[in-house]
Amino acid sequence: MSDQQLLRRLLAGEDAAYRELVQRYQGAMRAVAFAIVGSRHAEEVVQDAWLAVVRSLAGFEQRASLKTWLLSITANLARTRLKHNRREVLLDDLPGPHGSVDEARFDAGDHWRQPPTAWHDDSPEALLAEDELRQCLERTLVSLSELQSSVLLLRERQMLELDEIAGLLEISQANVRVLLHRARLKVFATLEHFEETGQC
Amino acid sequence: MLKCRQLVALSSDYLDAQLSLRQRLAVRAHLAMCWKCRRFVRQLQLTQAVLRQMPEAPIDDLDERARALAAAHRDSQG
Repeated sequence: MSDQQLLRRLLAGEDAAYRELVQRYQGAMRAVAFAIVGSRHAEEVVQDAWLAVVRSLAGFEQRASLKTWLLSITANLARTRLKHNRREVLLDDLPGPHGSVDEARFDAGDHWRQPPTAWHDDSPEALLAEDELRQCLERTLVSLSELQSSVLLLRERQMLELDEIAGLLEISQANVRVLLHRARLKVFATLEHFEETGQC
Repeated sequence: MLKCRQLVALSSDYLDAQLSLRQRLAVRAHLAMCWKCRRFVRQLQLTQAVLRQMPEAPIDDLDERARALAAAHRDSQG
């Protein structure tokens, strides 16, 4: 269903359309709220954003996509909440449960000392078929800082462009790239560890 | 000549098409000769694909929330 079709049904007040709307976009809204206000207040921000959205649906002019509009409302509400205690952008790296791809992997000449090993499974479907690995990945995602995990989810799962993420979270694109790279390496390290040892 | 460690540092920007032409050519030249880094980049792409396909946690109160929002919309229309 396109944005336009969905919008028509939303304006007609169909419950099923609201269900579709929440299912489609709440994950991305949550990731944006989580990045800006942290886990404690993310749910409240999402709830406020939904109310703001449904009250102004009739005025939505479709200059942007529905998703972009929803996410900017969420980001604005999250920022209003933070107005007086704006957090610094934390590039500090929390350690991942299985490390990262750090300097210990390279020799003095910057060549691989411990190269990546071959993985048994080479499709996402095969990897995700392992319950234990899925749980292991969830654990790694939870170990990331709120900002880092949000940036990762907005990019990989929600497929947002880097400049869109930077704009929503009001951080530089360079910072988005750093956060994303570090997050990916930690998830990579978890997959690698699991493929090598068969356990989390 | 790019070293493996530098290639790893550039790998995310490479996948996100954020490199300058010069950097991109350096990465490709390195990958053409280094199977270890080729494997690394392939596995990093696989990591991305896994994240993309990981099931999202279900929304517990989906129906309830949808009904409340539909009602809020109707109220706002007065």
